[in-house]
Amino acid sequence: MTDARAGQSDRSPSALGALTPSTERRRIPDASLYVILVAIVVLMTAVNPERFPTLSNLQSMLSQLPILAFLSIGMMISMLSGGINLAIVSTANFTGIITALMLRALTAGDSASATLGVTAVAMLAGVAGCMLVGAFMGWLVAYVEVPAILATLGVTTLLDGVNVVLTRGYTISNFPDALLAIGNGMTFGVPTPFLMLLVVVVLLHFLLNRMPFGFRLYMLGSNPIAAKFSNINTRAVLMGDYVLSSAFSALTAFVMMGQLNSVKANYAQSYVLVAVLACFLGGVDPFGGAGRLSGMILAVIILQIISSGVNLLRVDPFFVTAMWGAIILVLIAVNHFTGRWREGRRLARMHGPGAPEGAPTARPSATEPNSSPRGERVR
Amino acid sequence: MDDFLRLKAIHKSFVGAYALKGVDFSVRSGEAHCLIGENGSGKSTLIKIISGVEHPDSGEVWVKGARVARATAAEMIRQGIQVIYQDLSLLPNLTVAENIAIAQLAKSGRPLVNWRTVHEIARAATARIQVDLDLDAIAGELPIGLQQMVAICRAFTGDLRLLVLDEPTASLTKGEIDNLFTVVRDMQSHGIAILFISHKLNEVIDVADRVTVLRDGLTVGTLSREQLSTDKLVEMMTGRPLAQTRFRYAGGRKKKLLEVRNLSKRNNFADISFDLYEGEILGIAGLLGSGRTELALALFGISPADSGAITIEGSGQRIASVQDAVAAGFAYVPENRLTQGLVLKHSVAENLVAAVIGRLVGRWGMIDASRRDGLVARWINSLDIRVAAPDLPVEMLSGGNQQRVVIGKWLATEPQILILDGPTVGIDIAAKSSIHQVIRDLAARGTGVILISDEVPEVVANSNRLLVMRAGRIRSEIDSTAATDAEVQALVEATA
Amino acid sequence: MSAVARARGGAPIKRLLKRNEFYLAALILVLCVSITAANPSFLTLENVLSFLKTSSVNGILAVGVLFVLILGGTPDVSFTAIAQVVEYVVVMATLRWGGDIPLALLGACALGAVMGSVNGFIIHYFRVTTIVVTIATLNVYFGMLYVLTGGNVIFVVHPMFKQFASILLFPMRSANGAVYGLSLMPVMWLAVLVVGWFILRHTFLGRAIFAMGGNEVAAQRIGVNTLWTRVFVFSFVGLLSGVAAIVHTAIVLSAIPNIIVGHELEVIAAVVLGGASLFGGKGTIIGTFLGVLLFAVLKNGLVLLNFSSYWYDVTIGIAITVGITVSAYQQQRAERSRVNVKVEAVAAQ
Repeated sequence: MTDARAGQSDRSPSALGALTPSTERRRIPDASLYVILVAIVVLMTAVNPERFPTLSNLQSMLSQLPILAFLSIGMMISMLSGGINLAIVSTANFTGIITALMLRALTAGDSASATLGVTAVAMLAGVAGCMLVGAFMGWLVAYVEVPAILATLGVTTLLDGVNVVLTRGYTISNFPDALLAIGNGMTFGVPTPFLMLLVVVVLLHFLLNRMPFGFRLYMLGSNPIAAKFSNINTRAVLMGDYVLSSAFSALTAFVMMGQLNSVKANYAQSYVLVAVLACFLGGVDPFGGAGRLSGMILAVIILQIISSGVNLLRVDPFFVTAMWGAIILVLIAVNHFTGRWREGRRLARMHGPGAPEGAPTARPSATEPNSSPRGERVR
Repeated sequence: MDDFLRLKAIHKSFVGAYALKGVDFSVRSGEAHCLIGENGSGKSTLIKIISGVEHPDSGEVWVKGARVARATAAEMIRQGIQVIYQDLSLLPNLTVAENIAIAQLAKSGRPLVNWRTVHEIARAATARIQVDLDLDAIAGELPIGLQQMVAICRAFTGDLRLLVLDEPTASLTKGEIDNLFTVVRDMQSHGIAILFISHKLNEVIDVADRVTVLRDGLTVGTLSREQLSTDKLVEMMTGRPLAQTRFRYAGGRKKKLLEVRNLSKRNNFADISFDLYEGEILGIAGLLGSGRTELALALFGISPADSGAITIEGSGQRIASVQDAVAAGFAYVPENRLTQGLVLKHSVAENLVAAVIGRLVGRWGMIDASRRDGLVARWINSLDIRVAAPDLPVEMLSGGNQQRVVIGKWLATEPQILILDGPTVGIDIAAKSSIHQVIRDLAARGTGVILISDEVPEVVANSNRLLVMRAGRIRSEIDSTAATDAEVQALVEATA
Repeated sequence: MSAVARARGGAPIKRLLKRNEFYLAALILVLCVSITAANPSFLTLENVLSFLKTSSVNGILAVGVLFVLILGGTPDVSFTAIAQVVEYVVVMATLRWGGDIPLALLGACALGAVMGSVNGFIIHYFRVTTIVVTIATLNVYFGMLYVLTGGNVIFVVHPMFKQFASILLFPMRSANGAVYGLSLMPVMWLAVLVVGWFILRHTFLGRAIFAMGGNEVAAQRIGVNTLWTRVFVFSFVGLLSGVAAIVHTAIVLSAIPNIIVGHELEVIAAVVLGGASLFGGKGTIIGTFLGVLLFAVLKNGLVLLNFSSYWYDVTIGIAITVGITVSAYQQQRAERSRVNVKVEAVAAQ
């Protein structure tokens, strides 16, 4: 007999567009994403029949996809803990700039002539810089307990300023072949960045789904208090989370450097929006604890197709930015309506015959901090 | 006394399940009426219907002898019925005065706020209830007992005739409870009826003029004051007579597991010293705010102590984090099952292995699935956790089963010392005794158990030794194998 | 000390010390002293009036941000885009049809309010966090602005703006003959502060905003109309963005498409440093003013001390990061020293 479930806080203003963080979502690869993917491909082909369904376009998409993918996955990783990494692009720029400056320093100004070894050292320096940023953000969120939005917003502003100082506003270019190969080369017949993406995705899959870190991360994201009470070192996990997220900034940086043969402060800032959008579309719960790589990959592919298709139409890039914004709004609306429907199904499942009695209400305990029943958690 | 409120043949069902199957219920003017029942009995739904938040599928609602055709929330408030929910619904960032006056302000629809009026309204309310509140204090910073007073004052500003209190004493200290009942009696003398929902049978027996018991969506019966007894109430609530057994300690001082000396933490507890032996259940009783949970949290590493010594099987331990505590052999089943004990959206299996995931690692640092599944199966069986499949989310389980999952999670760490804090809160009476049996079996097998509880009968029946804490210190230590509830209650409530 | 006073947190002096605004004011004072020591022209009336004028834009926007933060949840980041769009529309409209400042102001406020209300409706009906919705609307508004205007700078605006900017209250002559005085822009900022204060403190609407920030479910139960309160807040933000747009045009006498956008964090950080909480329900006008003043003093100091412009953003970034770190650390300390149990002093028996 159930009476406590109905009329519970399910209806309080809460989730981001009713992204119901149920375990259903974690289990079923979202069927609707496949549908959207097919629909988008059809749409783009219809709109641009000469240039869209061509081999060169496919190659172009395959080479651009990794950047978007790395950024989106990096964003997803930070969202899994219930936070967000708004500094993901600034960190990538920072990494690139550090690497470029190191190259210049080690080769006395002639970066293109750097040997493999020197290139590697420079890249290591870039990675170190990136890890430092990640650790700093992790420290702010885990130890100082600054809400993630503020912490990463602050860091991104800081980094943008630092990037400008380091480059004096100029673009640095002229990189060695080793680096260019990462961006443009082919390995085993596949564009190198794409291969990198594949490898990373596979490794990440194991990390998130089969290893203790991933297990703890999902638990932390779902209920940080219970995670702490369950012998999970929440501070260490959060730290690791932001460092890992920043690692993806490093990957992005190297691919970008390789492809564009230049670095600049404040490059690609609009990608933050797209990364957030990809997480939404891919089913990541911004409150933490839910989100699958498979959903992310599909989402990134969809967005890349949209991006390429729109670019082929020579649309004003600012219009594209507006478009991404509009897509988020549409997505919010769609999530809301389908979420409602899904919510109804979930409630029905719990009230069915043989279902357990309602959950007992938690009494306000004297040792528990005054929790706001707003349901909107800001981290 | 006439009936102020009368519910006839109320039926209410939700998607696929019946909550109320024809309930007859009445509250007389000026009486203190208690409504009791287990989880799932329909109490909450009945209250929602009384407050107008939900509408019955069929049946009638009568107020002051007249049928209320459309019992909406606004209408019921107009009729003089106010509900104070367990979370008090206060605005924690506003002052006391504002909290009291704000509902009236909203109703009056006037755009500007006259602070003098606000204070007047607040002062009038506090004067009527005869409670001394600092009107400019921030509501969220008050102790919970005073917050409740604020909520009552707020309810009072309407034309109040029936005040419904949902589990009002759940988080109050003894002084605050006495205060509350004084206020309640005063309101009664003004003709205001009070409807309590409570699970604390001893308080119910103290305070109520009449008690109605609900079970499975039906009224089992209504007892008047003279007829009340704990056993009778329990029998009506569960449908069976209560079998009360007591924990029997295997006896003979065995190995000393834990030695605590002079453990102190500023503003939490001071000078705590006690021992724990193998196979014992050491009870810790005391009022809310006595420091019991704070002590447990210090032993468990959540908020470590400032000073003192913790020794486990002879070797001194430094507990600065949960990881330290678990490594030392502690386990803690927390007070608040839903927010501290379980990750509701995760599966039963995941919750069971949460504390030992690091130990289930096999090749390449990956989790060994078969060892994990083995562990899950073992504890589901051994603790008799009723769930259709281990990968169902744990939020779908009943309270009692959820608690078993929490206990299972901790037993998986193979602890030497298991601390349980309010382990049967919000759990049905029948399920309570089976949890008690689990705890007793644990002790019998050699684990040292510390049982912290608000409910004196629970702690008396399930421990062989008992500590009573008050205001952060241990005040008494007794052998509870032969103690009575009344004795211990007296010790708990003693003020000197 | 009486029991009542103790419950209130001590004697009046002690309570003052506990407040965030006090430390902020002290910090600003310290900064002013240090900067003046290095460059005496900082603390001249002329300089002060000047940087007060240029920070009016952020100051006006900050009041809107304060309202959003009190309402609860994540901050609105679309206000700069709204200001930018309104600025362009007003500049182009006045160039085409003329008019006067009051009319332009009216139009700006109306347009801004409508744009802002969109946020309010979406957030309410779709139950989404503010930051996500406003990131989306930010990009929609900003993107469309660029598309429709081609990103063109408008170098000449209607003379009414120059007229407006040249009005000086209490005109004075400086050492080198230049005329300076209190221009109308800081006055508008002050007016906005006063209006904001009045709404928050003396209207039911203002108290409803605090109520929703404290406990939205309870506020609803009490009878607060959450939809309209929310829509009001976001419309108010838009309206203020409109005011800020007018003020900005008067200051720079041109319309540049990406000059306001990008400063969201600075404004938000100023409000947060001023004591508003990201969790809602808390914040004061004084604190917001002080927060904006802090950044204004910092920036002006950097200029006067001849720092290269590259260092602006870094300094602001550092200031923001340090500020939120200190703020969070303070909260942690408060949590840790909370009295859970009133421990009895002497062991009995």
